[in-house]
Amino acid sequence: MLHVQDLVTAYGKIEALKGVSLEVAQGSITCLLGPNGAGKTTLMMTIAGILKPKAGSVSFFDEKLSGLPPHAIVARGIALVPENRLVFPSMTVLENLHAGAYQRRDGVAEDIERLLRRFPRLKERAAQAAGTLSGGEQQMLAVARALMSRPKLLLMDEPSLGLAPLVVEEIFAIIGELHRDGTAIFLVEQNAHMALKVAQRFYLMEQGRVSFSGDPGSLAEDEVIRRAYLGSSRA
Amino acid sequence: MIDFIQNTLDGLSVGASYALLGVGFTLIFGVLRRANLSYGPAIMLGVYLATWASFSSKGLLLLAAIAVAGTVLAGAYVERLCFAPHRRGPAVAAMAASFAVWMQLEELATLLLPRHLYSFPALYDGGPLAFGPFTARVESLVTLAAAVTVCAVVWKLLYATRFGIAVRAVIDDGRAAELSGINVGALSLRVFALASAIGGLTGFLIVSSHEQVTPMLGMWSTLKGMLAMMLGGLGSLPGAVAGGLALGLIEAHSQWYLGPQLRDFTAYLLLFALLAARPPWMNTRSAY
Repeated sequence: MLHVQDLVTAYGKIEALKGVSLEVAQGSITCLLGPNGAGKTTLMMTIAGILKPKAGSVSFFDEKLSGLPPHAIVARGIALVPENRLVFPSMTVLENLHAGAYQRRDGVAEDIERLLRRFPRLKERAAQAAGTLSGGEQQMLAVARALMSRPKLLLMDEPSLGLAPLVVEEIFAIIGELHRDGTAIFLVEQNAHMALKVAQRFYLMEQGRVSFSGDPGSLAEDEVIRRAYLGSSRA
Repeated sequence: MIDFIQNTLDGLSVGASYALLGVGFTLIFGVLRRANLSYGPAIMLGVYLATWASFSSKGLLLLAAIAVAGTVLAGAYVERLCFAPHRRGPAVAAMAASFAVWMQLEELATLLLPRHLYSFPALYDGGPLAFGPFTARVESLVTLAAAVTVCAVVWKLLYATRFGIAVRAVIDDGRAAELSGINVGALSLRVFALASAIGGLTGFLIVSSHEQVTPMLGMWSTLKGMLAMMLGGLGSLPGAVAGGLALGLIEAHSQWYLGPQLRDFTAYLLLFALLAARPPWMNTRSAY
C-alpha cells in the first residue's frame, strides 16, 4: 500500500536519506531497524510530509504523496505517532483526542469512547492536562490521538523509547490489536527483539540506505540486533 | 487617597485597551512564535480608512465596522506576505518582513490622509460621570466593557470550539498539530483575522475616545501590544490581559507621582527589570 522509491531527503547539503526504497504491505506490520543517525526518523518525517524530499517518491495506493503538506497526508489515511510522543501538554486528554480528529466531524464521540475503553488509563485521566501524564500514558495518548484520524497506515517512531518494560509490553500488545483490526503499521524501533516478534517484514537502515530487508526469520536475531545497534560497517 | 483611587480607575480604563492589543498580539505570537511588528500599522490603516469614511458619515457603528474590516484585510495581507512564506524559516526573516510591511502600510495610510492630525467623531459627547468624589469617562467605561466582552468571546472560542482546539494545539506543539491533520497555514490566517478584528476594534475605541488620529497610532499600538504581552509572560492570554492592565496602572500612577516625562520611562524600566529578573510566570511556553 505504501511504496517508497529512491527517496532522498537532505538537511541543507547533508543527505540523511540517500535513496531509500521500501514497501509496506496492506494489513502488515513492517519494522524499520537501524542505529542512531541512520535516517529512520527522517524517513518517517518525509512520509508524513513534514520534510520535503529532494528526489524520489512516496506513493500510497498508487497516489503520489511526496510534496503534499502533512494535513493532506493525514487526510489520505496515514498518521504518524512521532518520536518523543509530542502530545499537547497544556490540553486535556480529551482535547488531545479531539485534536487528532480535527479533519473529521462524524463519529468522533463514538471513536473517543471506543479508544477510552481500549486505553482505560486514559479514561481515568480524561480531564487531566496531558503534560501531567506519565511517559507511558503519554505514549498511549499519542497512539490514541493518531488513531482518531482513522488511519489505514499507522507510522510509529520509537514508541517504546524511554518506557519501562511493562509499558513496552503494553504498547506492543496494542500494536498487535491494531494489526488484528486490519490497520497496517510501519514501526521504527530500537527494541529489535520485540519488533521482530510482531513484524512480518523488516528493513535494516544504515547511513541513509536500506542495507537489508527480509522476513524476521531470514537473518539470525543476534545478527540483526548487532547491525541494528552498531551498523555493519563498524562491526 | 482619592487621587490614588482615581488614578487607579484611569489606569484600568487605559489598561483595558492595552489588554486588548496584548490579546491580539499574543494570539499571533502564540500560534506563529513570531512577533508581528506590523500589528499596529495594520490597525492604523483600518482606522485611517474609518477616518476617511467619517468625512461623509458619522455613524459610529459603520465607522467601527470599517476600522475592523480594514484591519482584518491589512492583517491578512501581512500574514500572506510576511508569515506564510516564512513559517518554516528563521523567525527573524518573518520579523524583518513584517517591519518592511510596516513601512508599506504606514505609507499607504498617509497617502490616503496626508495631514498629521485628523479629528475623529467622538464615541460619546457628554462629560464624565461622577461617582461621589470620583469621575469616569463614558468612553473609558465602554472600552472596559468591550475588553471584558472580547476576552469572554476569545475564551469561549478557544475553549469551546473545534477552532479553539486547533489553535491551542498549534500553540502547544506546531509539529504535532500538523501531524494531527491541522492545516497550520490556513489556521494562522484565521488567527490573524481574529487578532486583527480585535485590533481594529481597539483602534476604533482609542481614536474615538481621543477624538483624533495621528500617524503615531501604528507604532504606538505595536508597542503597547508587545509590552502588554511581555509583561504578561510571552504567550499567555490571561497574562496579556494582566500585562495590559498593569501597564495602564503603571502609566497612570507614574504620570501622577513622577510627572508625564517619566511615564513611559517607568514602564520600560519595569519591563527591563522583569526581563532581567525573569519571575516564574515569564515563560515563553506558558500554557493557557
